[in-house]
Amino acid sequence: MKYLNKNIEELHTLLKNKDIKPIDLVNEAFENIENNKELNAYITLNKEEAIKQAKELENKEVDNILFGLPIAIKDNIVTKDLKTTCASHILENFIPIYDATVVEKIKAKNMIIIGKTNMDEFAMGSSSRTSYFGAPHNPWDHNKISGGSSGGSATTIAARDLLFALGTDTGGSIRQPASYTGIVGMKPTYGRVSRYGLVAFASSLDQIGPMTKNVYENALLLNVICGHDDHDLTSSKKEVEDFTRLIGKDIKGMKIAVPNFFVSDIVNREIIDKLKDTIELLKKLGATVDYIDMKYIDNAVTLYQIIAMGEASSNLARFDGIRYGYSTENPKDIEELYFKTRREGFGKEVKRRIMVGSYLLSGKNAQDYYFKALSIRDDMKQEFTKVFENYDYIIGPTTTTTAYNLTDPMDDPRKSFLDDVLVIPVNMAGLPGLNIPIGFDKENMPIGMQIIANNFEEAKIYQLASILEKELNLNLEPKRGENNE
Amino acid sequence: MSNYIPTIGVEVHVELKTKTKIFSNSKNGYGQMANSLTNVIDLGYPGTLPTLNEEVVNLAIKAATVLNCKIRKQMHFDRKNYFYPDNPKNYQITQFQTPIGYDGYVEIELNNQKKKIYIEEMHIEEDTCKSTHRGTKTLLDFNRAGVPLIEIVTKPCMSSKKEAVLYLEKLKELLFYSDISDCKMEEGSMRADANVSIRKNESDPFGTKVEIKNIGSISNVGLSIEKEIKRQEKLYNNNETFKEQTRRFDDKLEDTVLMRVKETGNDYRYFPEPDIPFVVITDEMIEEVKKTIPMLPDERREKYKELGVSDINTNKLVQNRSLSDYFNQLLDKNTNHKIASNLLLGDISQYLNKTEKEIFDTTLTIPRFLELISLMEDNTLTSKNLKEIIDIVLESNKTIKEIMKDENIENITDDNAIREVIKQIISNNQESVEDYKNGHDRAIKYLMGQVMKETKGKANPKMAMDILIEELQ
Repeated sequence: MKYLNKNIEELHTLLKNKDIKPIDLVNEAFENIENNKELNAYITLNKEEAIKQAKELENKEVDNILFGLPIAIKDNIVTKDLKTTCASHILENFIPIYDATVVEKIKAKNMIIIGKTNMDEFAMGSSSRTSYFGAPHNPWDHNKISGGSSGGSATTIAARDLLFALGTDTGGSIRQPASYTGIVGMKPTYGRVSRYGLVAFASSLDQIGPMTKNVYENALLLNVICGHDDHDLTSSKKEVEDFTRLIGKDIKGMKIAVPNFFVSDIVNREIIDKLKDTIELLKKLGATVDYIDMKYIDNAVTLYQIIAMGEASSNLARFDGIRYGYSTENPKDIEELYFKTRREGFGKEVKRRIMVGSYLLSGKNAQDYYFKALSIRDDMKQEFTKVFENYDYIIGPTTTTTAYNLTDPMDDPRKSFLDDVLVIPVNMAGLPGLNIPIGFDKENMPIGMQIIANNFEEAKIYQLASILEKELNLNLEPKRGENNE
Repeated sequence: MSNYIPTIGVEVHVELKTKTKIFSNSKNGYGQMANSLTNVIDLGYPGTLPTLNEEVVNLAIKAATVLNCKIRKQMHFDRKNYFYPDNPKNYQITQFQTPIGYDGYVEIELNNQKKKIYIEEMHIEEDTCKSTHRGTKTLLDFNRAGVPLIEIVTKPCMSSKKEAVLYLEKLKELLFYSDISDCKMEEGSMRADANVSIRKNESDPFGTKVEIKNIGSISNVGLSIEKEIKRQEKLYNNNETFKEQTRRFDDKLEDTVLMRVKETGNDYRYFPEPDIPFVVITDEMIEEVKKTIPMLPDERREKYKELGVSDINTNKLVQNRSLSDYFNQLLDKNTNHKIASNLLLGDISQYLNKTEKEIFDTTLTIPRFLELISLMEDNTLTSKNLKEIIDIVLESNKTIKEIMKDENIENITDDNAIREVIKQIISNNQESVEDYKNGHDRAIKYLMGQVMKETKGKANPKMAMDILIEELQ
């Protein structure tokens, strides 16, 4: 009997009536993962502990809708007593001694952590191929990438292993893999979710968010993980709200903007066509859609590279082999300890970004690059604010192409950033953004649309996404070889 | 006499007296078991983030105020990136672009002339951990990692070791008095580095700068500056040049020793700390902090002098914070402040030293102290008496009069009784009386001695003298 493909309300009732037990769901999740082993979605499974926890829950009251449900956590979010590798050799055997705030919140709801998902090393990449443990495979086509950096979380959700996963998004790392794998992925407003316990890549951009197969479940998970945290000074004091509250409400009269840059020739024709179909649908549902020009967003990738790599070069300095993580054998002095530990412990892409980032912050360069980028970032924020004075949403494709082959070359570092050219502006502006599947290309690979709203308007994003989800009514379960349209 | 002009600047790191560390809730303490005052944040554990201890910001505002600095209303923190084993994140959170205080000064008095020592800036930062080298191994104690510091940087505006020493003494006094730091150089809660260069003429550019680090006491700051000036003079006189460098003061050699020659500008890759949002300091915050600043040493000195306290006693009182605080409670009292200061610094200090107590730990309330002063003033109680009963005065709650009674201390203050004794003595010592009348001063001392002998020292000396002179007329 399969339960994990049922909708959440049904599952909750079954649990509540003791028709099923949490252990049934945990066992099923591990079976699914085992059956989908070749997808390489996980770095570490939490089998023993998950089973133990599921059994303990049998005597507890089913007090919330997420009670007893399995969840997967991206491997850059620390979990007490459970290996957290960041997909890096340098943390290959790192067992944290504390829980990230989001993990505490998940545990408080009695959700069960099934394992830690695969990703790009330290979230640096857009295909999860920089993982020390090899890339995850796309459930729609095993020869294709799942995207990144939250590739493992996207994979396990798309493969229907379980219902919930957490990802992190610094420059599109939730939305882009969600688009490639046909799932719903939300990057909340910067500050919405505590970053305490998220191993930092670019502190001013990183944000944790939910990855699920549908909109409602996504909003439910965001309900759990957000809220002010005293441990994170950048976390917002905004009151916790019910993100499901606008789901299903009609969008008549809503004003939607499509930046011309988002439908320019950097985007594949098939994707633009699918987006235009969706726009027609939105109009039919009573929304107005305008094409607009936006300044600065075409510069977002450049700004992102400067800010993210600058911050990363500093954030990753702490991995020195002294207090935790990989440490080289018998160094002759402190210099050698630093050099060898980091040379042997970090992968190529991470080292490249640390070096570029260090260069960008070095001496006079800091003024020429980093500080200039910060100031243009402010201008870009203003530009978004201006648009939201007149519009409820900004939409566009999430990616310029659908998922490409795992064997495509990785030697052009700029290519990896161009995968994220449409998602990065949202991080730069700190805004919430969500990927919703809107169809498939001719190879039956999912196409995603991005919905962006003003700061802290996640509920409004879910509103539009839920309407589209209902109207499009796509079959999003990967059936390899068959067409889902 | 040398013909070089020294230029000296001083950088001081002061550990703030907070309950917890600057970016975590670990206890801020000294002398505890290694690594017992640490948590994941102090260790720079992956995923951890700093929080900001408000107490630190308040103490820094306080320091900026007592150092006459302007206060930055919107400030942020910066990361200073460098690899070192005592630096757990391999970056230090400090303030580079927006130091909380700037353009301040401290006033010193040199040869009876006031001089302002200008402060370039003061900023907040975290302390590093402590490393101890054992053979080929290095041990790390993270108790100190994240202890809040302020760094106070003067302009290169001092021209002698004397000025540097006076500045440091003054700085220490100010920070100690305003409860910002305990300023113990021996425990490292105050650390000073001196920058020294010399040149021939005021109009010349500054000479090559040498930084002296790790100086363990204020007097050694003076000594190290003196030695460094001599060293540089010798080099210049031999037509030698040298590179900008960092030296340390070696206690045993009593001289500076080369640590490292400065490479072409350190590259710390500073950038604003993204984990801590900008901090806004409001006028209300500054006003609140100002209310917590007690009377500062210079004002105390001025007030004490106005009340007739001697220079020596004034300085001694100000050097002892708790005695000075105690004495301040007498400022508006109508009493003899001179006697008060003598008592506090004399018999009372002796008792406090002996018993290792603070004045506030004794039973000497202000009303009792006022009673004591007044009894001393009118000689009801003599210094000799006080020495006998000082322990009781400071340990019991009885009035001083009650104590005197219990201890059978009764000075003859009845002038009739004294007059009787004096008349008797005068009639028995006519020879001395004659001497006195002929202008021999020594005679009256002899007669006075006879009075005290007859009364077994119980006669009030002042009263006795007055009566004696009267009777001799």
